[in-house]
Amino acid sequence: MTSGDTLAVFTAWDGMPPVSNYGTVDTRNVHRVADFDAATDETLLYEGVLPRNYAGGGVTLRMGWMASSATSGNCVWNASFERHQDETDDLDSDTFASAQAATGAAPATSGMVQYTDITFTNGAQMDSLAVGESYRLKITRNAASGSDTMTGDAELLRLELRET
Amino acid sequence: MATLTVQQRGEVHAALMGEASNDREVISLTKVQLLAALVAADDWLDTNAAAFNSALPVAARVGLTARQKARLLMAVAQRRFREGER
Repeated sequence: MTSGDTLAVFTAWDGMPPVSNYGTVDTRNVHRVADFDAATDETLLYEGVLPRNYAGGGVTLRMGWMASSATSGNCVWNASFERHQDETDDLDSDTFASAQAATGAAPATSGMVQYTDITFTNGAQMDSLAVGESYRLKITRNAASGSDTMTGDAELLRLELRET
Repeated sequence: MATLTVQQRGEVHAALMGEASNDREVISLTKVQLLAALVAADDWLDTNAAAFNSALPVAARVGLTARQKARLLMAVAQRRFREGER
């Protein structure tokens, strides 16, 4: 695997909702999206396996999203990995690594897609995820952040995980 | 009737953003700007409550409770909002 190659693709509806404060499924002109609130931190969980051709270069998560109603302001996204190590991690409790964050500006026209990248270095930022291991990727809109100034929902459309 | 508390203003703020999102109604303000507008509207209502009361005919001014006057104002504003949507 070389830098820039895609490791995984998720559509918004692939996300698993946590027990509370979850992003909600929605459609926009028949596009499947997940809505993340502007006033409450909401989360969805995406599940996968790190491909065996991952070469250890770290990963970049590209998030395609739209604003439901805003045409200005910024949206703060957090993402974190949870590794499921062989006979080590007890999935009865969550063990996510520290979240990495990125801020994206609302496009000037509601309905246009903004792509926001979050980078993870190989190792601790990826919860030391190894090839062939199961993982969860937690996506949260950090609505409580003072830097999240965008009114209304953020509509997550697609996620791409690629080697950095 | 006092102005809304910080928490109540926050709840209205969240509800306004939620409604706009559901309707996909474009809002060109940031969260801070929208909250400032909400606070200004709440403060304006507080400041001008006496003027509203004075504008009512005497029978209503003395015959309606504060709650009923608030309901009256809300009904007119709501209907005007709906008419503006058509």
